[in-house]
Amino acid sequence: MKVLPEKSVVIVGGGLAAGLVARQLAQQGVETLVLERGGDYRHGPEGRIPTQRDELRWDVRHGLMQDAAGETYTQRRARTELARPMRRLNAFLPGTGVGGAGNHWGGQTFRWNDYNLVLRSRYEQRYGRGAIPADMPLQDWGVTYDELEPYHDLFEKLFGIAGKAGNLRGRLQPGGNPFEAPRQNEYPQRPLEITEAGLIFQQTVEREFGYHPYPSPAANSPDAYVNPDGMTLGACQYCGHCERFICEANAKGTPDVLLYPWLERQPRFTLRRHCHVLGLEHDRASGRVRGVRYLDLLSGQEYLQPGGAVVLAAFTMTNTKLLLTGGIGRPYDPATGAGVVGRNFCYQANSGIALFFPGRWLNPFLAAGCTGTLIDEFNDDNFDHSGLGFLGGGYIGVNVASGRPISVRRTPPGTPRWGTRWKQANADWYAHTCAIGAQGSCYPHRENYLDLDPDYTDAFGQPLVRMTFDFRENERRVSAYCTEQSRRIAVAMGATPVGPVVSRAAPFDTRFYQGSHVTGGTIMGADPAASVVSPRLQHWDAENLFVVGASVFPHNSGHNPTGPVGALALRLGDDLARYVARPGRLS
Amino acid sequence: MPDQNPSQPGRRDFLRSAALMAGAATLPARAAAEPAADAPVAPVGYLSFSPDEAALVEAMVDVMCPADELTPRGVDCGLAHFIDRQLAGAYGKGERLYLRGPFRPGRPEDGYQLPLTPEQFFKAGAQAADAACLRRHQRRFAELTPEEGDPMLQAVADGREDAAGFPLAEWFNELVYPLFVQACFADPIYGGNRDKVFWKMLGYPGLPAVNGLNMVKYRGKPFPGARQPKSIEDFS
Ligand SMILES: Cc1cc2nc3c(=O)[nH]c(=O)nc-3n(C[C@H](O)[C@H](O)[C@H](O)COP(=O)(O)OP(=O)(O)OC[C@H]3O[C@@H](n4cnc5c(N)ncnc54)[C@H](O)[C@@H]3O)c2cc1C
Repeated sequence: MKVLPEKSVVIVGGGLAAGLVARQLAQQGVETLVLERGGDYRHGPEGRIPTQRDELRWDVRHGLMQDAAGETYTQRRARTELARPMRRLNAFLPGTGVGGAGNHWGGQTFRWNDYNLVLRSRYEQRYGRGAIPADMPLQDWGVTYDELEPYHDLFEKLFGIAGKAGNLRGRLQPGGNPFEAPRQNEYPQRPLEITEAGLIFQQTVEREFGYHPYPSPAANSPDAYVNPDGMTLGACQYCGHCERFICEANAKGTPDVLLYPWLERQPRFTLRRHCHVLGLEHDRASGRVRGVRYLDLLSGQEYLQPGGAVVLAAFTMTNTKLLLTGGIGRPYDPATGAGVVGRNFCYQANSGIALFFPGRWLNPFLAAGCTGTLIDEFNDDNFDHSGLGFLGGGYIGVNVASGRPISVRRTPPGTPRWGTRWKQANADWYAHTCAIGAQGSCYPHRENYLDLDPDYTDAFGQPLVRMTFDFRENERRVSAYCTEQSRRIAVAMGATPVGPVVSRAAPFDTRFYQGSHVTGGTIMGADPAASVVSPRLQHWDAENLFVVGASVFPHNSGHNPTGPVGALALRLGDDLARYVARPGRLS
Repeated sequence: MPDQNPSQPGRRDFLRSAALMAGAATLPARAAAEPAADAPVAPVGYLSFSPDEAALVEAMVDVMCPADELTPRGVDCGLAHFIDRQLAGAYGKGERLYLRGPFRPGRPEDGYQLPLTPEQFFKAGAQAADAACLRRHQRRFAELTPEEGDPMLQAVADGREDAAGFPLAEWFNELVYPLFVQACFADPIYGGNRDKVFWKMLGYPGLPAVNGLNMVKYRGKPFPGARQPKSIEDFS
């Protein structure tokens, strides 16, 4: 193994979070190296017409995602079971390559309701100390929304987020989400155009229920846009090939368009592609990591890359794996509740109902990744949970992201699966359906966690991460409740028929996509006995090691995760600049 | 085009009559069916399918997609061709499929757990499907009438068809059926959805490059582009 010269900051993974950390460091002239296992997406068939518009290749066959043949995860629903590998990755889709999943994301960019950062305190205050079940290790994050607000603002400006403010410096704004945390500034861009399905939803929930529908905040650029770094976005063409695809029009806020091309022009920044990080070199005595071991996939050479500071930004699963294989921090033990690495692994309790509107042209193919119209009335703790028997909630709304015909066709209940009647139902309904969906929160459960699988290995001979996970009673109730609200709204919208009403239930089914929002495993917090990293994302047991991404979330809310990921990453960049200047424990 | 000309029977009809003449149960249907000079042949050859597998898949896609007002029969839409190409290609050889041991039988929600590539699994299932058919009908699937084939597929899909331990329902529902759907709706460049016939059927416009204005103009209205879908070939 060759030992390379030290770099001030070494970042593992070259995705969205890494790019944002590196951007802050570059602004302050700090020497930074990013190690990314994949290559570029900028000039390949995935980013060019006509090959970009290939549903089979990029969407159905997951052409841009992590290759499960080389590395997947094992799963089981209880620790008494023997795990099975997910031989295909279907339920969630980790990214790979420069920009990570941040390139082929949909772009819904939320700020979570501010109390999410102090969720345990919030619930205890509102419902009493006994309200949180003993097997639900909710905890405060150790950071407040006020600290993160400027970073949310910066992330939105860097990525050109389109939306409508709901709460501007404490004043509620018509047309926005009134439950939104207060923001200092409007979104940098106007909202995307609304869809026909969104209009039906909007009019119904306003008129019938007095709810407050809002346009999904979007990293799809409605107009040409120049960000504070002078990086530009084109105008979205509503082509219906967004989430799971690379945008050939450069109209999606993604790291490969907005961050890495800028970074590569900065003198003290280096990006090494095709470098698979194998492990961390930990020096227990000094309480520091020396650096990272990686394999250069283009030469087969293994290197040790020393770093003054090392940042894990390789998504939930790799972040957790590298701490477990490196023996840094005590692995979580569900039997005793002791240990920290791997705990609070959460997912998302989503559900959807197909809606049919005879004679109304919903044209699902005229869509962007985020053409959604949503309400937050039933999200998180925006409603009174007294007597409901669960905590949490979800946004509800109509997201029309594509009419791609292999995956997005809905036929009324009772339609046969093939034959002339099947074809006829597809022909009759294709342009006239949508779905109403709930994006349910997922709170930690004592028995949901990550560790290393004892039996299965990846292409590099390393253990696979094992997820012990199921939708426990709280999440099943959250989903049942939110799905019932969806059904109620669907009926009021006048859909006939309304499709099957099925909420998220156990057992966790690996065959179906349920969102790529896996969180936790390396959580943040103020108590070293209950968290892996400090509120500054600094590892409790290795002072020069930092972790960023949704792996630091103590729970997952009823909103997509990337807004808070972005804010935390930008703040970490500033913290690291301080750290490099004066190493020590950050407060 | 729909294969409705009685003087030009489709290859399946040809196979069926050949098999009937020769005694179905014992005859490897395709062996007797080397196309005579005037016999219709599939427009392209197969890369993965054996003659028996080809006959099975052609029969299946014709049952699942009969010729009607909406589309020609499945074979003429390229559906068998698509499935063959997928199985012969990277997908069939196990691309993106984790195939390391140990192997353990799983529950349905664990997803696919067999140590076989999709192509190998397909071939094992094709034999099992025909064996089940022989047990029930004393004929192979390719030799059934559509009226017999449809309920047979239904029974397979519902797990009602005994296959001597082979997971026939899983084979159909999680390998064959998705391939069938993909064959119908993927870009024609892969060999199915010939002439974009399924896109026209849906009113899916295909690969429009710019919809920024259409988004507003055609909100809630029929979209003209839906009548003339564009595929990869049209942009190449
Ligand atoms: C289809 C899809 C749609 C999505 N839509 C939304 C949405 O609408 N809204 C939202 O909020 N979120 C969405 N997400 C999630 C969003 O993409 C992620 O939250 C975001 O990308 C996370 O950033 P990250 O930097 O933590 O991970 P990533 O951006 O994935 O970056 C991690 C990087 O680490 C690299 N890496 C991993 N292991 C190693 C290793 N061993 N060595 C070297 N490099 C390694 C990976 O290759 C990858 O490039 C979506 C995700 C997917 C897949």
